Amino acid sequence: MSTHETATHGDDGVTKFGQRELGWLAVVALVGIVAARFIDASIPVLLAAVVAAMVPRKHGWDVRAPLAVITGLLVFFVIRAWPVSSEDIDSAAAVAPESPHLLSWLIFLPIAGAVGILFLPRQSPHVLKGVTMAVMFGTLALSIPLLNVTMGRGYHFNQDVPWLASLGIRYHVAIDGITLWLVMLTVFLQPVAAWVSFGSIKMRVKDWCFALLLLEGAMIGAFLSLDLFLFYVFWEVMLIPMYVMIGVWGGSNRIKSAVKFFLYTFFGSVLMLAAILYLAYTYARISPAKLPSFDFFELSRLELPMHVQMWLFAAFALSFFIKVPMWPVHTWLPDAHTEAPTGGSIILAAVMLKMGTYGYLRFCMGLFPEAAGSQAATLAGVAVLGGIVYGALCAWKQDDVKRLIAYSSVAHLGYVMLGIFAATPSSLEGAVLQMVNHGISTGALFLLFGVLYDRRHTRQADDFGGLAKPMPVYATLFIIATLASIGLPATNGFIGEFMVITGTFVSNKLGHVNGIQAVGAAIGVILGALYMLSVVQKMFFGPITKKENEHVEDINAREMIAVAPLILMVFIIGLFPNIFLSRMKGAVARTEEAYSSRLEVNAAPRYYDGPIRLLPRQSDTTPLPADLAPASDTAADTGAAK
Amino acid sequence: MTPPMALTFALSPLLFLAGGAMLLMLAEAFQSKRTRNSGLALGTTAVFLGSAAFAASVWMYGLQDLGVASVAPWLVIDKFSLFFDVVLCLGGALAALLAGGYLPEHNLDRGEFYSLLLFSTFGAMMLAAAGDTLTVFLGLETMSIGAYAMTAFRRASPKSAEGALKYFLLGSFAAAILVYGFVLLYGATGHSDLAGIGAALAAGGAKSPMVVVALVLVLVGLAFKVSAVPFHMWTPDAYEGAPTPATTYMAVAVKGGGFAMMLRVLLTAFGDPRSMSWSSGWPPVVAWLAVLTMTVANLIAGRQESVKRMLAYSSIAHAGYLLVGVVVTMRVQPDATASVLFYLLAYTVSTAGAFGALILAGSFGKEAVTYEDLAGIGRRNPAVALAFSLFLLSLAGVPPTAGFFAKWFLFRSAMGGGFYALTIVAFLNSVVGAYYYLRVLVAMYMREPAAGAPVAMPMRSGYVMAALVLSAILVLALGILPTKTLDVAMQAAAAFTG
Repeated sequence: MSTHETATHGDDGVTKFGQRELGWLAVVALVGIVAARFIDASIPVLLAAVVAAMVPRKHGWDVRAPLAVITGLLVFFVIRAWPVSSEDIDSAAAVAPESPHLLSWLIFLPIAGAVGILFLPRQSPHVLKGVTMAVMFGTLALSIPLLNVTMGRGYHFNQDVPWLASLGIRYHVAIDGITLWLVMLTVFLQPVAAWVSFGSIKMRVKDWCFALLLLEGAMIGAFLSLDLFLFYVFWEVMLIPMYVMIGVWGGSNRIKSAVKFFLYTFFGSVLMLAAILYLAYTYARISPAKLPSFDFFELSRLELPMHVQMWLFAAFALSFFIKVPMWPVHTWLPDAHTEAPTGGSIILAAVMLKMGTYGYLRFCMGLFPEAAGSQAATLAGVAVLGGIVYGALCAWKQDDVKRLIAYSSVAHLGYVMLGIFAATPSSLEGAVLQMVNHGISTGALFLLFGVLYDRRHTRQADDFGGLAKPMPVYATLFIIATLASIGLPATNGFIGEFMVITGTFVSNKLGHVNGIQAVGAAIGVILGALYMLSVVQKMFFGPITKKENEHVEDINAREMIAVAPLILMVFIIGLFPNIFLSRMKGAVARTEEAYSSRLEVNAAPRYYDGPIRLLPRQSDTTPLPADLAPASDTAADTGAAK
Repeated sequence: MTPPMALTFALSPLLFLAGGAMLLMLAEAFQSKRTRNSGLALGTTAVFLGSAAFAASVWMYGLQDLGVASVAPWLVIDKFSLFFDVVLCLGGALAALLAGGYLPEHNLDRGEFYSLLLFSTFGAMMLAAAGDTLTVFLGLETMSIGAYAMTAFRRASPKSAEGALKYFLLGSFAAAILVYGFVLLYGATGHSDLAGIGAALAAGGAKSPMVVVALVLVLVGLAFKVSAVPFHMWTPDAYEGAPTPATTYMAVAVKGGGFAMMLRVLLTAFGDPRSMSWSSGWPPVVAWLAVLTMTVANLIAGRQESVKRMLAYSSIAHAGYLLVGVVVTMRVQPDATASVLFYLLAYTVSTAGAFGALILAGSFGKEAVTYEDLAGIGRRNPAVALAFSLFLLSLAGVPPTAGFFAKWFLFRSAMGGGFYALTIVAFLNSVVGAYYYLRVLVAMYMREPAAGAPVAMPMRSGYVMAALVLSAILVLALGILPTKTLDVAMQAAAAFTG
């Protein structure tokens, strides 16, 4: 049994340089140095060569090559995406030409792929998997141009065409610095989740591929939609594939979890739909054209009296809080995560939960700033106590490792929500970064635990112990992911949590308890270390108590390839956060200013309580398309604003 | 056009249907034993589609040149009735296609089913056009008697007989109550035509206590026909006992005819400001009926073990949503009526599709009845399961299906009319609804049949497949590009506002 041998003679197998490796390294380095004289890309090549050489000896080029390519590409990404100085961002007048169809390609390529999958034969899983991966990589490649644009404050790649014109429903998609990273996260993680799931999903591959692709398209669509109707459609479409993923390929209690997941989310979203309808109709009543509109920019001009706003805010917020999930509507999450297959858990934790935080940031704060502002302090308290502290304590008490990771999500998203409630530039940037971070580190944790689950088919932490001995590489990677999740400096988690906590500390929107809340969040960091490290210790260290654990196979090639981008990303964000922060800065500043200005005009405790009226258009949002901007409109607006 | 020509043309949807029905009856009688009934389903479908095509051509020709006043007040041929002609014929055609597969499979292949179907639909179309209490009653009875007979079509089955008897007795009572109401109205106003009654009530007759009693009686009769809670008791038994194509027909066309009658009677005869007000008219009664219907039906549907019974309760629940739209007509016109019409169309294709998928999922002796019967059908017959899922998602109101836009328009007009509480109740009910529709999906995709348990064997039938494909196309088309159809519904609804 070869795995056994390499495992027991551990020092042979790990990272020992043989002469052959050194030779290869020298050759590749030489090539790299020579190449450096001609092209800029020598550093990625060099680092890729180093990684290829460092791979344990027992692996062949089938592992080395993909790992080297992944490294090279990610390093290349760091170099290319290196931020230009902030002055350049603001003064960038000459923008690269932006295709108005790019975002539609991003949304509909996966959906078209899903439809295409339906016509492929069920009997050839390799074809199905290949097509799925190809579509996902195609989407990833299509998203590259998004990084080449200086994001600044505004929206880019705007596409705004009438869809159901008589109802005021438009197909309006655009991207800004906030959604940029959420979309990038989606297209980046989706291939990883698909790749790792192909190892464990053996039945109904066709349905699985269909669900994966449909989900990807719907999630990207939900992030990009600026028409509330469109957003709602994608939001609902997203629900079905995930429901099927949990229900069909999940664990033993999968059906209950799937139904719970569906009903919780559906319950929230129908109330949101009611609020959307009310908004559109109110707009139709007072707008000069007397037509309903679902456009985010148009609806955010509505100034509603406080008592109306509170109801609408409650409907939107409930829907988003269920998705985040915030205490006390979080109870679907542990069940769904525990029962979902690994690929589903990764997508659910890494991307779908961000729908809630993103939705709150964009729609709740954009449409109902006064209501959001008046409740921010209370909600921040809920985020700290119910999310960060309670989530951490629950996680600490879990025996089931997947449940533990699920509760840790509740805690991590508590930070994100705290940062959003605090609404300072720093805390908002931290929150957006933390959304990405949580996606990376929790995605990695779910992925890695899935590896172990495939081998041992148990989720109880007590069933493991001393695993570092039979699976050293696995243990190393798991601990890196753990540390990222805890927020150790140099990993991604640190940056996000730090920015959220400092931002909360200086915030003036939390009603003078911001200091206490920052302290509470800091305590959460300690609790995070406590529960994560205690489970790591239980699983990996100490004596091997169970016989089954003596010969567990270490992480294999396909799993290593799946987890490598995530682990690299942990350090890329941890070491070069400015790549990410510089691109979101403008959009975050815009969001924050719009929110704060509305709060300052009508400061608490007397919020606006007059009749419903329309505010003038914001200048730094996208201009209206020609067919929607009547000349008389602006005059009427300014009149109404006075 | 000469006046007789114009009259014939205006009535052509009805005449074509009646003529086609008689011809098919003869064809059935003269067919040889060997080739019995093989073409009847197709012929019936063709008659339905032809009648719908006539309705469409009358619509496009324009009603103003036809001198339709000559049939008024007995029959009112307006865009409203023409819209219903198309919807009812569509429902009838789908039911006929389902019957073409179902009846031979279950040894019920007797040709009179198709005649009953055609004549009953004729009654429903007459009901949609009826402008006089007399024609309302005639249409209602023509429609109902066909439906009673179709319910009892499985002669060997006690359930079928039980359902039919219940349906017949309660339906007759309801019709009697309705007529009683009409009689009182005639006594109070001196008019038997709806427009005349409306004018008399608007002139001040609405205050008379006799009119109030009449209104209550009429409402009870109407609620029976659209099976609103608490007048729904006959529905589950009749739906379960009837052969599934007949169930389909009752769920779509009979209900459609019922709502056509309801809208016409309430908006024309009781359209005066007093009867239509919240303080002293029918809207609060209908609103409570709607709340009760939605809530009770959804809660009971969640507890059913038979899929067919679940679909029966689901159709009651949808009647509840439609009643919300009827209430809203008091404030938002013509949007509310249009949304009811659109909802009926979406509901027709989704429900017919769902029943069709249920038919296709089982075969003789191995019918799909309970959720367990459907276990694992997602694997054994993916096409049927996919179609069934699509129709159920449409009924649940998930985008991008017809059902989603139907709910959207309906709730939008309810919001616009300021009926916030009613809309919230409807929204919450649609969550409950999602639960039991999902149960079917769970059974089909996520469960495997227990070892040795009887499973449904999917049947093969070109007719049923054709019905499913047609419904699926319509469900998706209405779900992605609904505006055109909504415009048509708006024009139809404008019949009441002028």
